[in-house]
Amino acid sequence: MRLVETGNHVAAWGARLARAEVVSAYPITPQTQVIEEISRFIDEGEMDCEYIPVESEHSAMAAMIGSAAMGVRSFSATSAHGLLYMHELLHWAAGIRLPMVMVNVNRALGPGWNIWCDHQDTIAARDTGWVQLYCASHQEILDTTIQAYRITEDPKVILPVMVCYDAIFLSHNYMQVEIPDQEVVDRFLPPFRSLWKLDLDYPLTHGSVIYPDDYEEVRYSMFQGLDNARGAIKAAAEEYRDVVGNYHGEMVETYRMEDAESAVVAMGSIASEAKVAVDRLRDAGYPCGLVRVRSYRPFPIEEIRSLLAPLRAVMVIDRGVSFGMEGPLFSEVKAVIYGRSDAKVYDIVTGLGGRDVTYELICENTEAALKGKLAQETRWPAVRLNEHHRVSKQGLEGYWKKEGV
Amino acid sequence: MVEVRFHSLGGQGAVTLINMLAQAGDQIGRHVQAFPFFGAERRGAPVMCFLRMDDQPIALRSQIYRPDFLVVMSPSQVDAAIAEGTKESSVLLVNMKEEEARKSLAHLPFAAYAVDGTSIAIELGMEVEGLPVVNIAFLGAVSFVTELVPLEAITEVLRENTPPTRLEASMEAARRGFTSVVEIKKRKAPARRERKNAAS
Repeated sequence: MRLVETGNHVAAWGARLARAEVVSAYPITPQTQVIEEISRFIDEGEMDCEYIPVESEHSAMAAMIGSAAMGVRSFSATSAHGLLYMHELLHWAAGIRLPMVMVNVNRALGPGWNIWCDHQDTIAARDTGWVQLYCASHQEILDTTIQAYRITEDPKVILPVMVCYDAIFLSHNYMQVEIPDQEVVDRFLPPFRSLWKLDLDYPLTHGSVIYPDDYEEVRYSMFQGLDNARGAIKAAAEEYRDVVGNYHGEMVETYRMEDAESAVVAMGSIASEAKVAVDRLRDAGYPCGLVRVRSYRPFPIEEIRSLLAPLRAVMVIDRGVSFGMEGPLFSEVKAVIYGRSDAKVYDIVTGLGGRDVTYELICENTEAALKGKLAQETRWPAVRLNEHHRVSKQGLEGYWKKEGV
Repeated sequence: MVEVRFHSLGGQGAVTLINMLAQAGDQIGRHVQAFPFFGAERRGAPVMCFLRMDDQPIALRSQIYRPDFLVVMSPSQVDAAIAEGTKESSVLLVNMKEEEARKSLAHLPFAAYAVDGTSIAIELGMEVEGLPVVNIAFLGAVSFVTELVPLEAITEVLRENTPPTRLEASMEAARRGFTSVVEIKKRKAPARRERKNAAS
């Protein structure tokens, strides 16, 4: 069945086809449509699922932890400040090794209040122990949400998975999506069989105090779990292609990298737009390709290394920033090719708070980098130097004096 | 690829309009993309929407700055709509009575069409709290001007999406939108193609 739907409704279809048994979520723009659609599915008897309405995202994740600890396939959806509000529980869910899937609609953080797209929310949740997968199309939102259950329930992983997709550009965009038959999805994703659950007949303590003697071992096992997720992500993508038919890459998706001498690296919807930029750059005589980071955690260390190390130059696009440092994707790309490559690595931070990122902007900056016109550092090519800039240069008092305010 | 940008006011139904156009495009086998510039979910506030159709899968995710067609659903928005970006060959479709359109659109450097969507909506009782909902009339008008989707595909989408009590009026609004478009200023595009042929 083919539908023309918003990315949000497509995510709801993902939860439905994965046969999520408990959904616990609190509405937040731009995620609201996800749980509206799930509520409709449940109300109309199309989805056999318990919907837990909660009073906050903190409680949403707490209820998810409860249901996952009962061995039940659990789903949630959030965005931006919702994700921040449940941050403590994100660590909790990963730390006690519970399988669950949550979609996060990537939205900028306030203040200034902003409901549009960037990646700052999920970047801030980078080190919680969750797997983070970023989508670039509607079909990928659907397919990745289903694949995410295979990853999270893999016995060598058992860590929660966050499926991330861009606000508005994907969440509120109507595009076509092919909805596979339930029987086909069932062949790919068998029912969840938890190895343990909270049980009054066999009481156990779960997630209690761990003394310094044991804590590092627990954290190391999480580290290994994320490492194991690499194999699970690849296996899920390959098996999904075999059983259902769609494929969006594994840890990364590549585009025109075969003979590339340079590459654009990006995540989310910008990486889709960047395909057009790559085509234009090739038309202009630059043998350029695209590496889309699909799995941000675990980071595609081997893939990035083997794809990018032989290149002449790399342009990273960050839709988030590490204040006091640089674009986070930039840091990580450099880190994994360090000592193994002569590639020059460039970075732009752009698209914050929903600012549009066009293929022209990507072409312009990549071409300037390839011509050696840019320094190998984070630049903000779309920023206007206005009063915010002058205040930060002069201090507020200096600005007042100079501008005669 | 054909790119269309819509300018309207909150409550005129532009988001539903682009959704239905996308569904109609899907029915005739085109790849489609339709999204709003989000944030103005307030009655009367300016709304901007984007529609792309192509024979290939669409990789672009950015907004549309050089539209093939610029659809202006509120007559007061013509200047604001043009200010958001056009190209030489952009074609305008404006919600305007013919007489007014001949005065206010003819001097613009674009081919232009007018349709009196507001009158169609009022005559067919398509008003919500006093605001005429012009989107269904524009379904027909956009179909006529852009030739992206035939009226039959639009009729089919209306059948699938409209409650039975409103179906007849909706079909009539789309039909009137389609048939009552007035050409204000001719397109230049065919002439250019002829010149290219002559040169080769």
